[in-house]
Amino acid sequence: MDLHPLIDSAHTAPLPAPLWFIQLFKVLGFTLHMVPMNLWLVGIVVAMLLRAVGGRHGVVFSRRLMRQMPILVALGINFGIVPLLFVQLAYYQFFYPATILMAWFWMAIVVMLIPAYYGVYIYVFGLRDDDPAALTPARRLVGWGSAVLFIAISFLFVNGFSLMGHVKVWSLVWENHRMAGAALGTGLNMYDVQILPRWLLMFGLALGTTAAWVVVDTAWFARGQSDAYRHWAGRFAAKLAILGAFWFAAAGSWYVFGTWSDGLRETMFAWPTLVLTVVTALAPGLSVLLLLLLTRREITRPAAAVIGAAQLGSLAVNAISRQVVQDIRVGGFLDPARRTPEVQWSPLLAFLALFVLGALVILWMVVQVVKATKTTQS
Amino acid sequence: MHYPWWYVPHLTAPMLIALVAVVHVLVSHYAVGGGLFLAVETSFAYRKQNRDYLAYLRRHARFFVLLTVVFGAITGVGIWWTIGLASPLATELLIRTFVFAWAMEWVFFVIEVTSAFIFLYYWDRLPQRTHATIGWIYGLAAWISLVLITGITSFMLNPGDWPNNRNFWVGFLNPQFVPQVIARTGGALLLTSLYVYLHASLALKDAKLRELISRRSVRPSRLGAVLIFVGAGLFLLNVPESASRVAQSAAVLNIFIALTLAMTLIVFFGIELGPGRHPRWVSPGFAGLLLLVGLGAVATSEFVREAIRKPYVVYNVVLGNQISPGEMPGLRQSGFLAGGTWTGAFLADEYPELIDSGRLATSRLAGLPREDRIALGKTLFLYHCNDCHAASQGYSAVGPLVQGRSARMIEEMVLDFEATHFYMPPWAGTPEEAGLLAEYLAEIAPSPPNGMRLGGRDKETD
Repeated sequence: MDLHPLIDSAHTAPLPAPLWFIQLFKVLGFTLHMVPMNLWLVGIVVAMLLRAVGGRHGVVFSRRLMRQMPILVALGINFGIVPLLFVQLAYYQFFYPATILMAWFWMAIVVMLIPAYYGVYIYVFGLRDDDPAALTPARRLVGWGSAVLFIAISFLFVNGFSLMGHVKVWSLVWENHRMAGAALGTGLNMYDVQILPRWLLMFGLALGTTAAWVVVDTAWFARGQSDAYRHWAGRFAAKLAILGAFWFAAAGSWYVFGTWSDGLRETMFAWPTLVLTVVTALAPGLSVLLLLLLTRREITRPAAAVIGAAQLGSLAVNAISRQVVQDIRVGGFLDPARRTPEVQWSPLLAFLALFVLGALVILWMVVQVVKATKTTQS
Repeated sequence: MHYPWWYVPHLTAPMLIALVAVVHVLVSHYAVGGGLFLAVETSFAYRKQNRDYLAYLRRHARFFVLLTVVFGAITGVGIWWTIGLASPLATELLIRTFVFAWAMEWVFFVIEVTSAFIFLYYWDRLPQRTHATIGWIYGLAAWISLVLITGITSFMLNPGDWPNNRNFWVGFLNPQFVPQVIARTGGALLLTSLYVYLHASLALKDAKLRELISRRSVRPSRLGAVLIFVGAGLFLLNVPESASRVAQSAAVLNIFIALTLAMTLIVFFGIELGPGRHPRWVSPGFAGLLLLVGLGAVATSEFVREAIRKPYVVYNVVLGNQISPGEMPGLRQSGFLAGGTWTGAFLADEYPELIDSGRLATSRLAGLPREDRIALGKTLFLYHCNDCHAASQGYSAVGPLVQGRSARMIEEMVLDFEATHFYMPPWAGTPEEAGLLAEYLAEIAPSPPNGMRLGGRDKETD
């Protein structure tokens, strides 16, 4: 089947903002989303394992992380709205067909997210200082259930976004899952060799983020914990970070050298994108190096800030690379850059003003919390 | 026509939107009203230094966060998911037109989530005034997010002058905007009182405190009732004529409108008679029943609001079957099957002999075997009609609707939709394609029911 007819190249409308603006917020939103998303993707599994076999300090961190998890999940869902909004704005010709072809699985994300999130709460309600027995085997099982659901959700997300960029696979999915030309919505992008390495790549990043979080949490939020715990946290973070870096390197190599087309590889390895490719590949390793160097003796607040910023930078560079690869993939069919913008200036400025105002309001609230925490501790 | 159609057996894909949306609305209105309730009542309790009431409000805040931040937020995302899958052209248009309204709403979502967690988790750890302020920040942020999303949803029913000038503010501040903001604010306040009654009746043993809550919550519910009536009145004054006519012509909508009115009145009187005059009536049974009736009123009114848009998803801009009215002449020329991106690809894949220079070679249709004509009729049905009709069984199944009609009669009806069925999208294909659709519909139409004696022929003896 000729593939171009599946993309309606005539069906384009002016963008309400310059493409760079849309991509900036898409990348920014995805970077912010990745922080909490990484923590639920790998963090819950880590917390469950530590609870089971992590020893005294491992159990402490497990409790700490899971108690933070309801807030992390809420923030992750909220931050995820931004990239999803802007991807539908600039790449709708790709996003809608891809998700419709796998509609039931795409819907399953929402259906699974509800029990996954409530599962976190059910587990957390069992974490009572006055009654250790409250964390019953049933609650632990629910915790594991949440971990599995979040992992399954991540697989479906990777599947959808990978399908979005692989127009060539659409016809295969469609031909095998259609009735009289209508999509049954039962297709999964299993024809794509990139799925597995792309999915595994995120686990590598997530291990790094979880490691950085161990350090940040220990430095900034776990001030009441003993020195022994702080030493344990440093060592544990280092192990996690090293595992994450190796994982990322293995999955990344498979992804880049085993699944990229020659054309894509040529573009990503040509100047100036080569710089981005190299930085993306090295960033997780640099984060690990920083973590190992700065937490050798003890975990200090400035060190934690640097490690956290480095991991955030690593995620941001990864998000930028994904954006570049996405543009190359879809550009062969329909180039969003060729859409002339008709900028909605007043709504755009209103949004930016509210964005700043909102950030200030949130900052004010966080300052109140910090003040209150200091007062309580003193 | 630009996207693949998602076939959902029996239910139809757009009904999934309705299901998810109604469930979400029942919680999201509480997310707004409940936030305002907590802000007002926490300030009141601090002012009076009523520790018992504060303890109850803390419990209520926990219930509120568990319901709204988890279920409310995820079902909200769920609406987004389903509209993209079941109504992609309209979603694409709405996002392109109102991306910054959605982006602004997101800012308020983040404020909501942050303030809700701080309000709950820092109870007793923040100075009272600061704590109450954060409650107010949540309440206001939630209400502003209601205002922002209403600008978009009300646009779908009546975009005003937007089709002529395509201006963001003209679309956002459409004729339905103020009426729906007023009505939804009222609904949020009223529904919240019902949630509070049920929660208090289940969570509180102290009769005195329950009485206080009953009396305190009557005031916002009264205000809510007034706002609902004002908003509904303005709503009716600003609906397009077609919407009123759809409401008049569909029996199910008549029943739903009557149900909405009846259930709303039951709630008003229930609140006045119960919490308003006899606060001790607020038992779990009474409160649960009131909440159920209130949720029923909201659900039926939302269904009516969605249904009266027919045949549009966005009035005068996008039809229910994902076609813009402007695309109609082109499709009638090229043929519906050849003119659509995915139907065209399907045709090229399965029936390449029917395409000639990108157009449907209508003269070759007559030469197709019957089973192929019916198969193509099914494709036409799925892409043109399945947004509102299941096939032979299910939601508004078309088979029983055309029972007794010959293919010729159905074809004439299809070709004349504009004149006879203004609430259905006009036929967007060639006359020959209408013939294919009619053959398919005649094929799936059931035979007349057995056992009926209508004074004429006896079916069983036919």
